[in-house]
Amino acid sequence: MNWTAKTRIASTTTPTPAKPGNGSANAAPAAANANFRVSNGLKEFLLHLEDVRNPRILDLGQVSQATLNFFIEKGYRVTTEDLLRSWKEFLTAEEEGLRLAPVGNGGQKISQVYLAEKFIDTGLRYTEESFHGALGWDLLDYFDSELLPRVMERLYSLLLPSGVVLAMFHSKSAERFHRYRIVDTQTIEVLPAATLAVHAHVFQNREILDLFGKFRSSKTFVGRDQLREALFLK
Amino acid sequence: MWRKPAEAKTSSQPAEIAVPPVAKKTAETPPVTENASSTPVRSAAATAGSASSATLPSSETSPTAPAPSLAQAVTPVPVSQPGARGISRITSGIRIKGDISGNDDLYIDGQAEGAFHFPEAKVAVGPNGKVKANIEAREIVIEGTVNGDLKASAGVQLGASSRVQGSLITPRIAIDDGARLRGKVEMTRANGGASTVATTAIVATAATATSGTPKAIAKASGE
Repeated sequence: MNWTAKTRIASTTTPTPAKPGNGSANAAPAAANANFRVSNGLKEFLLHLEDVRNPRILDLGQVSQATLNFFIEKGYRVTTEDLLRSWKEFLTAEEEGLRLAPVGNGGQKISQVYLAEKFIDTGLRYTEESFHGALGWDLLDYFDSELLPRVMERLYSLLLPSGVVLAMFHSKSAERFHRYRIVDTQTIEVLPAATLAVHAHVFQNREILDLFGKFRSSKTFVGRDQLREALFLK
Repeated sequence: MWRKPAEAKTSSQPAEIAVPPVAKKTAETPPVTENASSTPVRSAAATAGSASSATLPSSETSPTAPAPSLAQAVTPVPVSQPGARGISRITSGIRIKGDISGNDDLYIDGQAEGAFHFPEAKVAVGPNGKVKANIEAREIVIEGTVNGDLKASAGVQLGASSRVQGSLITPRIAIDDGARLRGKVEMTRANGGASTVATTAIVATAATATSGTPKAIAKASGE
């Protein structure tokens, strides 16, 4: 693997009309199913963990039978936490609490900073340096400016040295909400889903690098579907 | 007409825990005493869905028909017979707290807290169930909310409305679309024993069926 410290290696991947990669026994014909997406980021993610014994990964997306099957078959230990949904439920609970609280009670100050810090105190509560890899999918596009750095900080602390994060970023505001699940070593199925959150921010490449500033190296893949895949190595 | 009242099917031993026998529809179940101690749950009566129900069809009630002999009468299967398994139910509106263990299946649609040990039986949490407990069973089916670790010797199924926070240790897992899981998943060998990472997750629901590797499919077909 040719990792370059703090240097982006952008390569244009042609989503070969969604033809699943190796190892897929029941793959739908590529051209007939536009929901499959070739993922070089996933391929690199798996290559990075190939030599790790009993790798442990953290999946921050919605739990999926297919994704779970995929990793467990390879001998991975998977921890799953639907972080975006947890955040939304947390916000809903906080807003409900505020709505029911007496007016002017306690002088409690509510701010995005407060909510972000409170959420981080309750979410992603795992032993530090306990994961070899993390799948962030496109969640980072949906977190606000206060929560995002705190999530990154926590994520960094959860990864083992040389741990790797796979994240996706939309090059333009996502038209609809999607979930992702793994089909094989280099294919991801993109599934339209009920909107859980509104796309918060379109990251420029420089912003992505800054977001992962503590990581020592990165690799980016750009697809024609306006979805950028980024790998970051701790 | 010979009709066996549901109440007649009682176990040979009285219930040792304040989980009432389900004699009729579950809505009529009396409330359960909280803070139940760690005692076996006995299935004191069969439910409507139980295999041991013994109601003769009404067609046999003709007054002109000869009375059926004892040999012809349907004999209910005693709960104590091998193979017979009752279901204990904690219905919605009931709260139970404590360590609970047993050999019969358990269905929880109320609130439960503590620990559940049913190594030879199935534990199911219904859509209204709210459980704060570790569950150990042969088979675990979740449709409600569970805050605790799940350990199954046969398999775990998470329904579309399930919300689980805790670790899963099981040789098989099935996750419906919409299921919520927050925790670690560890697959064990089907024969139990020390937990090791190995076997594939086999069961794929219709909603989540996707292409799998040949290895996974081959294993599934052998199950």
